[in-house]
Amino acid sequence: MASTQVLKLRIRSVKNTKQITKAMQLVAASKMRRAQETTKASAPYSLAAKEMLASLSRHKSAKGHPLFARRTIKNRLMIVIASDKGLAGAYNNNITKLYAEELQSDVKNGIHSKTITIGRKAAMFASRIKDVDVVGFYEDIPDQPNSNEFKAILDTAREKFLAREVDAVDIIFTEFISGIRQEVKIVRVLPAGFESVDTTFNDEDPLFEPSVGQVLDAVAYRLVEAQIFQSLLEARASEHSMRMLAMKNATDNATDLIDDLTLAMNKARQGAITQELAEISGGVEAINV
Amino acid sequence: MNFKLVTLLGVKINQEVYEVMIPTSEGEIAVYPDHEPLIALAVPGVVAIRHNKDDGNEKLQYFAISGGLIKITHKTIQLLVDEADHGDDIVEAESKAAYERAVQMRKDAKDQVELDKAHELVDRHAVRLKVAELRRRHRG
Repeated sequence: MASTQVLKLRIRSVKNTKQITKAMQLVAASKMRRAQETTKASAPYSLAAKEMLASLSRHKSAKGHPLFARRTIKNRLMIVIASDKGLAGAYNNNITKLYAEELQSDVKNGIHSKTITIGRKAAMFASRIKDVDVVGFYEDIPDQPNSNEFKAILDTAREKFLAREVDAVDIIFTEFISGIRQEVKIVRVLPAGFESVDTTFNDEDPLFEPSVGQVLDAVAYRLVEAQIFQSLLEARASEHSMRMLAMKNATDNATDLIDDLTLAMNKARQGAITQELAEISGGVEAINV
Repeated sequence: MNFKLVTLLGVKINQEVYEVMIPTSEGEIAVYPDHEPLIALAVPGVVAIRHNKDDGNEKLQYFAISGGLIKITHKTIQLLVDEADHGDDIVEAESKAAYERAVQMRKDAKDQVELDKAHELVDRHAVRLKVAELRRRHRG
């Protein structure tokens, strides 16, 4: 049986760990709440952009816009969103798993793929794989990114698509369904979808300034922007809620461990006392004889 | 007429107003009720809102906006921008410091990427600074 001294030390160290995991759980919980609220915030923005697209779609020149061009896919760009820090359960693993699958399927289909990573964990994963063409990596994006922060990502994607360097842009992120359910998802952001637009929208024919083409440019750009922004927000909310759950489990485990260790320590102490008593009464017996 | 200001982080304003002044790619426009239907490009600048017909300039409400889109129908205006900061939320001293930092950054930029970023920051803070100044001038 381990000595009480050793057990005491172990209990103390587990208690310290528990304190840390508990704190991380609380921090993640409050961050999650805020992130969860903002995931809903960008919905009116995409809706408004879609409405504008609908009123544009009646113009003939609209259909031929380069951002909507569907080409045979020979090259594609993947934007992978993971976290900067670990200790978030299976969050990063799930992302990298889907990413690896996509890479494999690209190799099989003879598609050359490029990657933009968001978050240190995604960058670390990509750097470990052979033959991955990483064209950009972004770290330390705040929970509520402003447009300056992710415009670079958006612009790279758009330029590569317009220059025909890539024929499609996909984004891999974790969809936030609820506090306990998050799913990894791959979504195509470019070519921008025209079908998904509700064209029943009826309004008088508006004027376009400076021109239909330029307005369309801006609308398409904003649609893609809203989509990337939305995935960033959802990824962030998922990360926090998965971290919260992981830390809750860790805290629970630590509590169990402390209980077990305390029990073992008490047993060891009682054992020592019993032994000492036996030795004393043994000694007394010996003297009396 | 209904004015709706939509940003990436949600709807900032959704209410009845009398007049809205918006900077567009073709120059600043003032929109009154029953305006011709129009879809135009908004550029970074100051949006001013007059809530009632009789409000004087001191009651104007200001927003610093980044670029975006404007959709005007006879009865509604929808302004779609990445970001909009309410005049009351902008502290003049802070924006001034931020503006100077951005200008300094533009001077020190080593490559094109840094320069682009600095340009964007300078524009952004210049607009915010302008909003802060306007607000001070009107409200004293």
